[in-house]
Amino acid sequence: MSPTLQYAAFFTLAALILIPALFVVVSRNIVRAALWLCACLVSVAVLFLVLGAEFLAAIQVLLYIGGIMVLLLFALLMTRRIGEPDVRVVNRQVGWALLGCAALASVLFWMLRGERWPVARVAADGSPAAMADALLRPFVLPFEVASLLLLAAMIAAIVIARQEPGE
Amino acid sequence: MNAIPLTWYLMLAALLFVIGLFGVLTRRHAIGALLGVELMLNAVNINLLAFWRHLHGTASAQVFVLIIITVAAAEAAVGLALILNVYRVFHTVDVDEINLMKG
Amino acid sequence: MTVPVWLIPLLPLAAFAVIGLLCLRPPREKAAPYLLILALAASLGLSLFALRQIPPGSGHEGLVYRWMVVGDLQFELGVLIDPLSGLMLAVVCLVSLLIQIYSIGYMKGEVGYGRYFAYMSLFTCSMLGLVAANNLLLTYFFWELVGLCSYLLIGFWYRRPAAASAAKKAFVVTRFGDVGLLIGILLVAQRAGTFNYLQLQWEVLPAGVLGAGVTTAAALLIFSGAVGKSAQFPLHVWLPDAMEGPTPVSALIHAATMVAAGVFLVARTYFLFAAAPAALLVVAIIGALTALMAAAIAIGQDDIKRILAYSTISQLGYMMLALGVGGYVAGLFHLTTHAFFKALLFLCAGSVIHAVHTNNIAQMGGLHSRMRLTSITCLAGALALAGIFPFAGFWSKDEILAAVFHSTLPGHYVLYGVALAVVFLTAFYMFRLWFLTFAGSPRTDVAKHAHESPAVMTGPLLILGLLAVVGGALLLRFPPAAVGLSTFLAPNAAAEGGSSAVKYGLIAASLLVALAGIGVAWRGHRRQALHAESLARSLPGLYESFRRRLYIDDAYEFFVLRILLVGSRLAAWFDRHVVNGMVDGVAWLTGRMGVGLRRVQTGQAQFYVIVILFAVLAALIVMAAAGYPFGLRMVARP
Repeated sequence: MSPTLQYAAFFTLAALILIPALFVVVSRNIVRAALWLCACLVSVAVLFLVLGAEFLAAIQVLLYIGGIMVLLLFALLMTRRIGEPDVRVVNRQVGWALLGCAALASVLFWMLRGERWPVARVAADGSPAAMADALLRPFVLPFEVASLLLLAAMIAAIVIARQEPGE
Repeated sequence: MNAIPLTWYLMLAALLFVIGLFGVLTRRHAIGALLGVELMLNAVNINLLAFWRHLHGTASAQVFVLIIITVAAAEAAVGLALILNVYRVFHTVDVDEINLMKG
Repeated sequence: MTVPVWLIPLLPLAAFAVIGLLCLRPPREKAAPYLLILALAASLGLSLFALRQIPPGSGHEGLVYRWMVVGDLQFELGVLIDPLSGLMLAVVCLVSLLIQIYSIGYMKGEVGYGRYFAYMSLFTCSMLGLVAANNLLLTYFFWELVGLCSYLLIGFWYRRPAAASAAKKAFVVTRFGDVGLLIGILLVAQRAGTFNYLQLQWEVLPAGVLGAGVTTAAALLIFSGAVGKSAQFPLHVWLPDAMEGPTPVSALIHAATMVAAGVFLVARTYFLFAAAPAALLVVAIIGALTALMAAAIAIGQDDIKRILAYSTISQLGYMMLALGVGGYVAGLFHLTTHAFFKALLFLCAGSVIHAVHTNNIAQMGGLHSRMRLTSITCLAGALALAGIFPFAGFWSKDEILAAVFHSTLPGHYVLYGVALAVVFLTAFYMFRLWFLTFAGSPRTDVAKHAHESPAVMTGPLLILGLLAVVGGALLLRFPPAAVGLSTFLAPNAAAEGGSSAVKYGLIAASLLVALAGIGVAWRGHRRQALHAESLARSLPGLYESFRRRLYIDDAYEFFVLRILLVGSRLAAWFDRHVVNGMVDGVAWLTGRMGVGLRRVQTGQAQFYVIVILFAVLAALIVMAAAGYPFGLRMVARP
């Protein structure tokens, strides 16, 4: 693929990530915002693919979009009271937030400018086999701890959110 | 896509992060802030994978990303439960109204 | 064997401790006086034994305990045993013992019986310690303690407002003197490097370490303490009011012992005064002035104790006059005889007050036939005070008059004239008192039914009466030292100059003047003209000013009320508004700051996140500006 084409592809993908992201944060309707987030996440999954992490791209779609976003949407849609739109979307801090975020972006960009990093890539294996091997041999502890974490979160969510009898 | 330098990926991630931060800071709806947090997490993931692809290539970066996604799931679940509970007490999800710790 | 002199003040202290802890309430308080009397008898015995061992004119130190050393200065606890302290110890023990015996009768049935004797024990301990101390600081310590006991005892009947305020007045007025004394002591110590009397007298002063100015200043400052404690002008105003206390207290503290402490102090530091002639002149002048003033005021008083109080002030002035003109022995001799007959007179007054329940001599009369013992002993005391041969007062007063006449001070003839006038006035007011109290016929029903006091009270009267009669013999032979008093106290003093013609002339003059005073009083008595109204007629204007104490108390009151209180009101305003205001201001400021800072706590999480964001930004910018690498300069791994 020629470099020009690659640039064009990259910028398109970038736009596909950033524009839905913008809509996530400015949309009036919260359900619409959640849906914009789904779009953004899909584009991120594509980016993962471009970077060569196939397994993770699949995981992104399955877990993030299929799990987390579904949960959010269900919570929004099934509890009507929560899902009702507000009058004002943004709070009084907009000005300061804009300032701060712009400043942060500038600082980050300034830190990144002039870096001489290699363009060529190293050999990186993003296949499921490599992941499995990693998860079950060197990183088995984080793997197990993560499962504990999920168990704890599950119990916590049930306990916090359950309705007291009589409510 | 070998021609894209690492820096561009990092800038992309930075922008995504800042957008998510803006959402966290400004959204009045509690879940809106939660969405912003998700954006920030994704930016981090992009960062990690960009470095993985260009510099190291070891498995640890991938595991890290997986764990991040796992934690995001757990956090979303518990966060939603909390928001539900808060709604029951305050009868609103407007973050500005939840200021019992004022003063 | 050497007498443990340090034990002498400690025995009454032990009595104080025991009485204070065990004997403050009935029934055990009945034992209190006996404990004290026991301690005092032992102390008296010890001091008499110690007297025999003191070589005339010199002294040595007894037990010395080094308590604290600060730089060059040493704070010691020690006794100095020399003729002066030996004499004083014996006198204080003897008089105190007799008065405690008297008190058993006088204070019988009073509330606080035990407390009275506890205070008396503490006082005696303090007075003995004051006298025996070997250094200035220790003397000052006991000086203050004596003042405290005086306060406690004047205000013994503390529920009486007059007594409470009299005690306060005594303490505050003597405070002025005490401050001067303290400054004087510190001045000496700072220049000389020591508080010790022997060192000061034999090492520091001869070496000329203290300049003439410093010596004079120190002497005057020390004298100011004596002015306060010995009720000299202008700090004499507390003594008449101190008569609010029980009469034995007046006898012991305000006649015989504590007020003598000022005279004692001047005698103790006489080496300083001897080197500062200007100070001696001041002492003499103030002494003479006080003597004259107090004697005049005494004429205008009708309260028996007040008359005696002013008499005490006057006689103390006499002693100061003596010391001022160089009559060291004369002054101390008069101190001793005065202790005897003044205590006697006060105890007689107490006996009379006990019988007729009033202090006012206008309401007495005719008590001679009803209270024979009291009357006779009081007469003895009066004769001694007036200075009639051969009573004790005659000898000591004449020594003083001779010393003044022969002194080398400028204007000493004026001083002599003043002293002679005081002799006249003293005789007059004293016999006015005696005639109005004991002679004639009773002027009230209470006086008609008066009866003599019990033996426990008249016993001490007799003993003191005896001493008032024969005390003059001390001059010739001072037992147990086996020499005359003057040789004992100051063997190196220059012999009295002047021929015997002058000597007998002086004696005749003083006798005549005293007899004249008594004669005028006698004539007044015959004509019933000694009462207040008659006197007012005979001495127009003068009498009134005497009665009003020469308006000195009024002057003080004016000063305090108009000037001092205004100043203190100002200071109070300042304290309340400025100082308090500053404190309140700090509190107010903190409060406002708190209110202001509280606005940061909005309770809204998003606000906190913004704050965190800006903090992190600031940190990043600072780090980047400082060149922190942020780990971005990495080398790719192959």
